[in-house]
Amino acid sequence: MSPYKSALLGIRSSADYFISTFLFGVMFGIAASAVGLLQWQALLMSASSFTASGQFVALEFWQSPMPYGTIALSVALVSSRNILLGMAMTYHFDGHSLKRRILCLFLLNDPGVVTSYVMPDEVDRLGYVTGYGISLMISWLISTLLGLNVAQLFASFDLGSVSFAGPLVMATMMILFAKGSKSSPFPWFVSGITSLALFELGAANYLILLISVASGVIATILQTQRING
Amino acid sequence: MAGIVYLTRLSGYFIGLQLRHISGIKPILEALPGCAFMAILVPAVRQGSLSEIVAMACLVILMWLTNNVVISTIVGMVVLFAGNVYLS
Repeated sequence: MSPYKSALLGIRSSADYFISTFLFGVMFGIAASAVGLLQWQALLMSASSFTASGQFVALEFWQSPMPYGTIALSVALVSSRNILLGMAMTYHFDGHSLKRRILCLFLLNDPGVVTSYVMPDEVDRLGYVTGYGISLMISWLISTLLGLNVAQLFASFDLGSVSFAGPLVMATMMILFAKGSKSSPFPWFVSGITSLALFELGAANYLILLISVASGVIATILQTQRING
Repeated sequence: MAGIVYLTRLSGYFIGLQLRHISGIKPILEALPGCAFMAILVPAVRQGSLSEIVAMACLVILMWLTNNVVISTIVGMVVLFAGNVYLS
């Protein structure tokens, strides 16, 4: 199947996640508006980053003065799963030019990669994942715009907790991740407990993030060593 | 931010091309996103209001039971908005 036809197949296959993405996008728009992002800033973030989890995480730290380092670190850590997705696609993008692969990796997305595995062999994976990504990007941008405008309506009703939409969405992703992952949740619990302890001690956000994730990594290494004997 | 996200997408692919055969790093990479989510989520919930904590609890329970992102998120948001009006 040609890359073009595979891309069309990716677009058609993305209907379910188009709806979920749309919902997240509306909430992102609402949350972005609640923390004070201008419309163009939120749309630029959605268009250039195209990462729901990373964008919600960034909103968590969006304040004045802007903690650029903390935002960069947290986005990098949350987006680290993209490294795995990229690695998973290592042999599936063969046969395309380097330029095309580099361009299409911008639209690499979790559901596209996962569903591409159940597609017949004749489907071109790069085309499929790219088509899937285009569909989700369209959903993400339209819904962000809608959310930003709906947020103005919500503001008049004094729904101050709307900024908590970010943690809510992150929680859904965490559960999806936990239920879909084959790895043990033990390192995640270690990270959670560490972050709570550091929060209670009044540590800075970036320290909470760094030390908590480091503790999770150490827990993973210890667990792996124990399993391997 | 966009550069960081794109870099993670690019780097994974090219690291995969070069270092795919190395074992031992995969469990760490698999654990990283979950650890980061927890490190951000736990303090956010800890400093949340009553309505926010109730909304989170509803969403987590529903999500765990149904695995339905759309329904869980809608219910979580409705509880959040309603709780903000009635519990605050």
